[in-house]
Amino acid sequence: MIPELGYFSLTLAMVLSVLLCIFPLWGAHTGNLRLMRAAPSLAIGQFAFVALSFAALIYASLTDDFTVSYVAYHSSSTLPWYYKITSTWGGHEGAILLWLLMQAGWTAVVAMRSKSLPWILRARVLGVLGFLGVGFMMYTLLLSSPFERLLPYFPVEGRDLNPLLQDPGMIIHPPLLYMGYVGLSVAFSFAIAALLTGKLDNTWAKWSRPWTMTAWGFLTLGITIGSWWAYAELGWGGWWFWDPVENASLMPWLVATALLHSLSVTEKRGVFKSWTVLLAIAAFSLSLLGTFIVRSGIIVSVHAFATDPDRGLFILAFLAIVVGGGLALYGLRVSQVKSEGRYKFVSREVALWLNNIFLVVATLIVLLGTLLPMVHKEMGLGSISIGEPFFNKMFAILLVPFAILMGIGPFLRWKQNKWAFLQNKIFVGALVSVVITCAWLFSSYEVVTPLTLLATTLGVWIFIATFIDLYTKAAVHGSLKLGIKRLGLSYWAMVLGHVGLAFVIAGITLTSAYSVERDVSMKPGDSVQLNQYQYRFEGVKTIRGANYSGHAGVVTVLKEDTTIARLYAEKRRYDIGMQFMTEAAIDAGFTRDLYLALGEQLSEGAWSLRIYHKPFVRWMWIGGVLISLAGFVILFDKRYRASPRKDELEGAL
Amino acid sequence: MNRKLMAIVPLLIFIFICVFLYQGLFANPREIQTGRIGQTVPTFNLPDLMQDNKRWTDEQLKGDVYLLNVWGTWCPTCLAELDYLTKLREQGIKIIGLYYVQSYDADFDGPFDMQALRDDVSNMLARAGDPYQFNILDLERSLALDLGVSGAPETFLVDKNGTILLHHTGDINPRVWRAKFAPLMQELQP
Amino acid sequence: MRLFLLTLSLFISLAAFAQQDRYQFDSNEQAIRFEELTKELRCPKCQNQNIADSDAVVAKDLRDRVLALVKDGKSKDEVIDYMIDRYGYFVHYDPPVTPATLILWVLPVLIVIIGFGFIVIRQRKASVKQTWSDADEVMLNKLIKQNKRQEQS
Repeated sequence: MIPELGYFSLTLAMVLSVLLCIFPLWGAHTGNLRLMRAAPSLAIGQFAFVALSFAALIYASLTDDFTVSYVAYHSSSTLPWYYKITSTWGGHEGAILLWLLMQAGWTAVVAMRSKSLPWILRARVLGVLGFLGVGFMMYTLLLSSPFERLLPYFPVEGRDLNPLLQDPGMIIHPPLLYMGYVGLSVAFSFAIAALLTGKLDNTWAKWSRPWTMTAWGFLTLGITIGSWWAYAELGWGGWWFWDPVENASLMPWLVATALLHSLSVTEKRGVFKSWTVLLAIAAFSLSLLGTFIVRSGIIVSVHAFATDPDRGLFILAFLAIVVGGGLALYGLRVSQVKSEGRYKFVSREVALWLNNIFLVVATLIVLLGTLLPMVHKEMGLGSISIGEPFFNKMFAILLVPFAILMGIGPFLRWKQNKWAFLQNKIFVGALVSVVITCAWLFSSYEVVTPLTLLATTLGVWIFIATFIDLYTKAAVHGSLKLGIKRLGLSYWAMVLGHVGLAFVIAGITLTSAYSVERDVSMKPGDSVQLNQYQYRFEGVKTIRGANYSGHAGVVTVLKEDTTIARLYAEKRRYDIGMQFMTEAAIDAGFTRDLYLALGEQLSEGAWSLRIYHKPFVRWMWIGGVLISLAGFVILFDKRYRASPRKDELEGAL
Repeated sequence: MNRKLMAIVPLLIFIFICVFLYQGLFANPREIQTGRIGQTVPTFNLPDLMQDNKRWTDEQLKGDVYLLNVWGTWCPTCLAELDYLTKLREQGIKIIGLYYVQSYDADFDGPFDMQALRDDVSNMLARAGDPYQFNILDLERSLALDLGVSGAPETFLVDKNGTILLHHTGDINPRVWRAKFAPLMQELQP
Repeated sequence: MRLFLLTLSLFISLAAFAQQDRYQFDSNEQAIRFEELTKELRCPKCQNQNIADSDAVVAKDLRDRVLALVKDGKSKDEVIDYMIDRYGYFVHYDPPVTPATLILWVLPVLIVIIGFGFIVIRQRKASVKQTWSDADEVMLNKLIKQNKRQEQS
């Protein structure tokens, strides 16, 4: 009964969604205030029904209702309750329902927090969001319902959630990512609404910004957690593979970063308007493209969902309508948008323009690298593969001018700058960075390659330059303490974002350059050495978890004869489905991770073990979290929180 | 005017991409084209599967057009295609089997149980049909690696001079034969 | 002190190479070459994995072959060419440079150049000193009237 109610609830949501799409947009077109005012309540109603639907699916999972085919394929009674809930988004249909929940959720929040917008704009934004909702709901109801039943012959036990997904990472990674992807649809809707209204001004940018930053914050966090999870889970110590599915999340992130910066320029200076709009359209387009790539079966990836061409076709059609429509509207209307504003070459405007060029080029590299193998093959030219070597090389090259620019950018004022004032800051910053990096690297490591030195220096440079700027801007006020209090939240967002990236760059560089691995076979009592640590294999004990059994290799880690950790590297076999999984043992630290994975049992009581020493690997995720905080910090900005006085805006079109 | 033109560019690029995405929906991303097409069968010297003291080399294979079919008793799809392959044999097509040993690892397993394997093979071929003139045993999968084989079933079409004309991954059925093999076989006849 | 300890540990790990390590090499360069190769070569049968990470039979065979070639003294390029001969370009994660793949490198550079060019040209235009004529005055009034009309509609 409940699953059917879930489906029915979704149908009701769909009806509201259709109305949400039609009424406000028609109302805005004809100036009918009543129609426009229907939008917020429709949005909230839509969310309520989608939420009910989602709750129905969770209920089916929690009660082990294996008559529902989705629950039978992705859950089992042996799962702990929190993984049963997680299994709701463990498969394709449920994940789409999660997406829908986010879509409806963002729409409702926009409806509730857009009271200060003129009705024409507000109605249009909600209308476009409604249209997006309609698309996804049609897809779910017609092609991809998680509520299908397996009657009359249903299994007594489910197939279990893929063991790789039975991890805390699965609980937070998809929801965070989807919050990001879907959140970018808000920026998209604002852009379309602005194009429809013909008003692309500073205020549009101002309204768009908090939504974009929040969505971007979620996306950053989602990607960061994904990388950390892959590292902790997969047993090989890898944290990014340039897999098409990973790329599908990186592309919207890169464009959204460009969008953020562009929005700030448009808001403050009224320039770059047409580019900002294009970026807003592109960001969500890439989210949708990513969804298509991952669910259509056109690429091969461990992450990809199982699919069939029908579903792929629907998503492609939806993609074509949404993105094609958006770009067509852009093509038609953007020539009406004029950016006024003059600025010299050495100005913050130009620096941010260049920043956007680099980010767009980075996105292009990822897009080309992900899609070219498919295009190449379809053109009959044969099969090629594009992976790590290509992407790493290109990004390494791109990083150099980008990082240099990132350090200089904040020093620049809007419109024009006197070189003399800049010179000192840049020179001192560069010198200090080089000195610090050289001292650090050459004292810690035997071999320092030019590339490692350059990349680490760039990370340090961004860090130093940010603090020079911070100091300069705070010191202007006389006392530092007062100055720091006076710095706006926007500024702190920049500091967090840039410092975060500095950590990411340094972390990736150092861990790539100095990670070491040993692949050994050991008998109980054996010891091996890796860098300054000794690893003593104590033996293997059998383990038993909630829904798995297996072995745990026990290893004592010593440094100069003092025990610093005892690690348990597991090899699990899940009861249902009999799948094997390695659960690596990690001794995490700020300056290094010690990573241990158990291999196979060999002859004569020996076991194979992989031991890794990974310096500074945590820095990239610490950096990622800092960057995502930059997105969320903006929510505390008073500018966006002031509630407008009701009487002022009643009836304002 | 210039601006208007430029504003259409993103849309055009998008449409261009969509065309390929559409095509991609109907292609098989897992089918790859390997390296040996157009080259001759690499040098090898491997034992016959069923007979002791009989060995095969690449030179001996020259002289006829044949299909080299990579298979194993552990492979369910191979079992499925035996019927059709046998029909092809009856039509006069020469098929040589390359037996791909899936799980034997010289470092870990004991000495190889040849008799058990031969019994397995005889049983399966007796039940499902025997399309093979003979079978070559690739115990260490060395010829397979030299040919660019990654599993079973895979089939190569080789001409009289030992040149590899086609490398097909997956089973052979009437549809595949018509689409991929028949055209090439036609060219080889006269 | 730290540097000394690290150098010392490097010696120790090299010496300990002998008994317990699964892969034995004649030199550190070989070990590094093997690691790089197994990360750059793709498993022909898997769902996007390199041969280092994959458990598939063919991945293991390729690893063993790469090991043999590396210990035989082959360079990284020679091993990659060896594999491409057999498995095609698909097996290498770095694409070949052909007319078809040239776009991978050309397009990004092009966009950077166009982007730079755009802003430079815009600067040139903006810095051209502007004169104001009567015709401009007429145009200005016309635009003001137009704008007023648009705002009222």
